Amino acid sequence: MMTRFLTLLALLVTWALPAAAQDENRGPLRIEITEGVIEPLPFAVPRFISDSAGGRDLAERITRVIAADLSGTGLFREIREDAFISPITSFSSPVQFSDWKAINAQALVTGSVSLEASGRLVVQFRLYDVFAGQEMGNGLQFVGTEEGWRRMAHKVADQVYSRITGEGGYFDSRVVFVAESGPKDDRAKRLALMDYDGANVKYLTDSSALVLAPRFSPTGDRILYTSYETGRPRIYVLDVASVQRRALEAQDGAMSFAPRFGPDGRTVVYSLTRGGNTDLYRMDIATGESIHLTSAPSIETAPSFSPDGKRIVFESDRSGSRQIYIMPAQGGPAERISSGAGLYGTPVWSPRGDLIAFTKQSKRRFHIGVMRVDGSEERLLTASFLDEGPTWSPNGRVIMFTRETQGAQGRANLYSVDITGRNLRKVPTDTGASDPSWSPLLD
Amino acid sequence: MNAGQFISGAGHLGLIGWALAGNLFAPDTPPFEVTEVTAISAEEYAALTQSDTVPEAIADVAILDAPDPGGPAPDLSSRADAAPERARPGEADASAPDTAPETLPEAPPPPRAVDVPGAAPQAPAAPPEESAALLPDADPQPRAAPRVRPDPVAPPEPDTLTEETSRDERAPDPEADAPAEPSEAAAPEAATTEIVTEAEKAAAAPERSLRPRARPGAPADAHEEPAPEAEPPDDAAVDAAIAEALGGDAPDPAPAPAGPPLSRGEREALRVAVGRCWNVGSLSTDALGTTVVVGLEMSRDGTPVRSSIRMVGATGGSGEASRQAFEAARRAIIRCGARGFDLPPEKYDRWRDIEMTFNPENMRTK
Repeated sequence: MMTRFLTLLALLVTWALPAAAQDENRGPLRIEITEGVIEPLPFAVPRFISDSAGGRDLAERITRVIAADLSGTGLFREIREDAFISPITSFSSPVQFSDWKAINAQALVTGSVSLEASGRLVVQFRLYDVFAGQEMGNGLQFVGTEEGWRRMAHKVADQVYSRITGEGGYFDSRVVFVAESGPKDDRAKRLALMDYDGANVKYLTDSSALVLAPRFSPTGDRILYTSYETGRPRIYVLDVASVQRRALEAQDGAMSFAPRFGPDGRTVVYSLTRGGNTDLYRMDIATGESIHLTSAPSIETAPSFSPDGKRIVFESDRSGSRQIYIMPAQGGPAERISSGAGLYGTPVWSPRGDLIAFTKQSKRRFHIGVMRVDGSEERLLTASFLDEGPTWSPNGRVIMFTRETQGAQGRANLYSVDITGRNLRKVPTDTGASDPSWSPLLD
Repeated sequence: MNAGQFISGAGHLGLIGWALAGNLFAPDTPPFEVTEVTAISAEEYAALTQSDTVPEAIADVAILDAPDPGGPAPDLSSRADAAPERARPGEADASAPDTAPETLPEAPPPPRAVDVPGAAPQAPAAPPEESAALLPDADPQPRAAPRVRPDPVAPPEPDTLTEETSRDERAPDPEADAPAEPSEAAAPEAATTEIVTEAEKAAAAPERSLRPRARPGAPADAHEEPAPEAEPPDDAAVDAAIAEALGGDAPDPAPAPAGPPLSRGEREALRVAVGRCWNVGSLSTDALGTTVVVGLEMSRDGTPVRSSIRMVGATGGSGEASRQAFEAARRAIIRCGARGFDLPPEKYDRWRDIEMTFNPENMRTK
């Protein structure tokens, strides 16, 4: 009897289960896509339209800079002009999306350049999602002077990048670095400023004194750096527009270095060595007053503020080897966040606040890596004989750093890499280059 | 295999296993005949046997809001088109090494400048995009009926036949040599440019008949005057009835589609086909952390109805990240669906409405 009862019960359950699952089949068909592809997005940027000979030359150059900016990210792939089916002959003409679909252009940038007799330059552009058959955002126009054409091209590229990826651009920005020349044992160094892509290099100091570690202010109008012109390392602040500089207040008999601005632009955190001990200090630029942040017998250096200004990440050998620590911006107990094998240094907080870039030395190789602020998810992005000195792009997506080749004739160069570890690129410079610091986006 | 079949199969296997292990077929029980049957879910059974289902109401397609035109561009000002006189000429800081270009809003056509209307130029006279010669999705659908020439082809010469019975030779008929009266030209045989099967004909009537309404209760008054005999409904009445039926007055708001469900292989093929065009390479890290659900309607030829593609929901990211993630998903659907997804036409009711969840979790670590 019991057996029959159980049999009946099992039959009922077997019959009922599919009925219970029937709801899944009601409504639309539902599928989940978890696997896609990671490829640069194909885009087309036909030469911008211009109505004058001078304008056409500028239009060509502007178009090339826009294409180079986008392609240089590794996120986009330019479709060459010879693949175009129909040219863009008028900025106001409607776009034949079918022609661009046929060559698989997923984004299309059209534009015009107008150079007026007064020297006023007007650049307009539109961005289209080809397969959606619609414009992405509104058309935008920039007005400037002929001399500023590269910045206008960068601004167009920033807009395109931002509208497609959803995060801010970084093309209209600059990098200050140490330009190097000569052999390693007699190397001349001076501060230089360039566009993020290596163009428009300008020198800010001469090579009479050794200079180190330039750092942009949060607004990009000033630069902190360390100079040995007095024979001892000392911190200077330089106004970018006027190229005027002044030394920050220093304590007698002390060596100060590794400065970095706070997010408010009025505070500087730096290292100071006195009596063989190196500690971190914080200075108010206006008053010159400094406060002690650390007081350990170990070496504390390379401080960097969090974007909210509440914490400072720095390197210290207090545990016996160089590691990365985080402490409150006013000083206090520090927490070690690096935990892997090897030596960690030069931590830099991401402008987004979510990651910390660092240099790691392990097994006779140097790496640039990133980790979360709690030390988790450490990822090494590069590996070479010598990689060091990371700096973040304004949008926190790219890291620029110094890579130096081996040997007496080894040369330092600047490289950039995406935080995913892809798209490692050399930044073109005429001379050797090291110690980069990326500015915020320009106004 | 869908979840229902899987669960049903597992249940049957468990039952059979239990029956075997539990001596259910012990000799003391009366012998009975075991007949192997194909496992079928209740839903499938209902779908196969259900002749009257309520036509699925066609819901209005939600139109995705246009993205914020201004955008959060940090350093730029964007506003509607303005006259060029309003434009602020670039004024460089004399002390700055590089002149900072200023941003200006859209401008109407200046006297000697290019016109920048507020909206993208449209081409009303241009042929529809789908009809462009180079448009991939304008190609004839491979699964359409084979095309035939519009003019009929002459029939082949018939084989020579020999009658089995002999006939007497007849004298030639003098009238037979007379020229025949010219007959009036008949219209050529009707032909079409393509063969349209019945299944592919545009639906002139609801594709599914109505579920029978509940039977009326017994009349309260047996002596009630009989209702006048209904007149044959005219076309308008039929249309109205159809419209009412399609208008959502159905008792079940989400009726189960008719026909057998898609097999696991068919669903997997669709998943792979869309994933092949789902490019997340240009997405921001925030957008890569956003899962979006995209709803769309499909045509019978397997192409997505572009205007129906909409974001049903998003999780894990900000509004901007959701928009980016949705746009990447939409590009994937349109690109890889341009030639039509390989879906079984006989199960069209099953894949006419689709919700695709784009989950980039696996892609973040690649």
